[in-house]
Amino acid sequence: MATTAESIALPDVPAGESEDPRSHLMFDPRPRGEMNGMVLESMHKTSKKFWGVVVFLVLTVAFALVGAWGYMIANGMGVTGLTRPVYWGIFITNTVFWIGISHAGTFISALLRVMKYEVRRPFTRAAELMTTFGLIQAALSIFMHLGRVWLFYWLIPYPNERTIWPDFHSPLMWDFMAITTYVIASTMYLFLPLLPDLAMARDRSTGWRKTLYRIIALGFRGTEAEWKHLKSAMNIFAFAIIPVMFSVHTIVSWDFAMATRPGWASSIFGPYFVIGALLSGIAAVMIVLFVIRSTMVNMKYFIRPEHFDFLGKLLLIVSMTWAYFFFNDYLVPWYGGDKFEKLLEDFHLHGPLSFVWVSMFICNIIIPWAILWNKKWRRKPWLMLVVGILVNIGMWIERFIIIPGSLTITRMPFTWREYKPSIEIPLTIGTFALFLLLYMLASRLIPLVPVWEVQEGQSAHILRKVGKAKIPSVGDID
Amino acid sequence: MADTLTILALFNDIEPAVNAIDKLHEMGVTDGKMDVISGIPFNHEVLGRPKVSTFIPRLAMGGAFVGLIAALFLIFGIPGLFPLHVGGQPVFPIPPFVIIAFEMTMLGLMGTAFVGLFLASRFPSYEPVIYVPEISDGKIAVVFPCSADMQAQFEQAMRSLGAEQVRLMEAKAL
Repeated sequence: MATTAESIALPDVPAGESEDPRSHLMFDPRPRGEMNGMVLESMHKTSKKFWGVVVFLVLTVAFALVGAWGYMIANGMGVTGLTRPVYWGIFITNTVFWIGISHAGTFISALLRVMKYEVRRPFTRAAELMTTFGLIQAALSIFMHLGRVWLFYWLIPYPNERTIWPDFHSPLMWDFMAITTYVIASTMYLFLPLLPDLAMARDRSTGWRKTLYRIIALGFRGTEAEWKHLKSAMNIFAFAIIPVMFSVHTIVSWDFAMATRPGWASSIFGPYFVIGALLSGIAAVMIVLFVIRSTMVNMKYFIRPEHFDFLGKLLLIVSMTWAYFFFNDYLVPWYGGDKFEKLLEDFHLHGPLSFVWVSMFICNIIIPWAILWNKKWRRKPWLMLVVGILVNIGMWIERFIIIPGSLTITRMPFTWREYKPSIEIPLTIGTFALFLLLYMLASRLIPLVPVWEVQEGQSAHILRKVGKAKIPSVGDID
Repeated sequence: MADTLTILALFNDIEPAVNAIDKLHEMGVTDGKMDVISGIPFNHEVLGRPKVSTFIPRLAMGGAFVGLIAALFLIFGIPGLFPLHVGGQPVFPIPPFVIIAFEMTMLGLMGTAFVGLFLASRFPSYEPVIYVPEISDGKIAVVFPCSADMQAQFEQAMRSLGAEQVRLMEAKAL
């Protein structure tokens, strides 16, 4: 639309005096047709290398996930490293980790939408996809932990001949309800803003893609009524899914905090887990954005250093908040002087896993604080990739320390035993491979950039003359 | 009416589209008879058109209520039918009810908002409709009916206001 491409008068900024507004996506508009073409080209243009990676991931999923899981089902949970006192191991660690990853999508898409952060526009969908695919991995990890996975439906409250009902006293049932709500809601929330882009893909596709998009675009055209209904539904979701997001990880934390175990019984576990989830989720978004920007054509136009800069700042703030909760969670048991709490802290700091504890501290606090304060560094995508990977390693370790790491030390010293994972390792690799595989396949079918939202944002941005300067301004067009 | 035609005027920008809507008002086309189709949402105030109402928020509130009732059944109905006496814990626990009620209320709210979109927009709809693919490329289409004898006048008016294309339209499959 010409509004975006022509009506914004870009300033004549002498080189070196100030930043060119065109470095911001919102001030560098291109005609909608061109942006549509760029996004569709990024979906259609695949190399042999891409399919090579897909084949590798399919094989990894087949052997590491399907094969190893089948072996575990055939031989029982004895093939895992789970034994007294550590009955919750890497499966639960992975569940908590993936639920954490899933938080970023909602946070970025819903919270930043409600708060009208314009910088969110090009990467909301990439983050929302992470939510959906992350939750699939979380659910798979829970199912692995169930052992007799074919009886998973016993969790579902429905009339049955056993006259057995799930006990709602149990945090595990709260967890089931919360995760189910979050999976359903986040999948629907992914679909809503996708509709106009599916219609766009329908209008510009041929063959089987045309048929596919015609069906899933549901007949969306963009009439006033359709936009009104869509925006209304999106608004409801954006507001409603935020407390659900907070509730999910809080309830996950209660799986631990409700038990009177050393290291677990903590009243701040809820917010501590939520902040941890945001830390790993935002870091994961940085990784995904780097990969999309580097591997898909035309994505450098949409995903820019300004987006890494924004996410870097967000990550720094969340890392500081996480450190605050971490210190709280450490200090109170330390000061309380409970014998087993002290033993557990000693085990974390000086035991055989102390290097893991130190790694977590470095990855989650020292690395982000050392790097993310610097704007120039925040605008380097490769550096943000490194930070994102390290923070996620740190957050996975944190969950490992909280779950099997803390279960090692119980109030009955004769049961103390270190946890040594075995088949859990290929299964973990399998979930990561499946996540990547789903994401790669989705990137060929779903426009990863919500083009209509980008155009809407660009049409709301103008350069306002104040004195001799032109100041970037944004209008509220909702 | 047999001699009623449907015209689609395609604009490159919002300003001429809004001017065209005003002109159509002057020429006797009421708001109820015209439609604006666009690649991005425009507020009714931007278009100078009547506000489109939607029942989705009300439906979602109803869904939230249904979710709450379902939670009440789960948390009070089930223990009433199959009481579980566990070490001094109440059979009807209030704090867990808050959690289950919250989750199911939110699920009801969002589930019905989602379904509401389908109902309100009559999705999925694969019937023939008035549409041109240029709309998803950012153009703005103003669609209105006119009689055959007024066709030339309307087309001329739209072109003079900057319409990139003015087409006689028939409903087609998307």
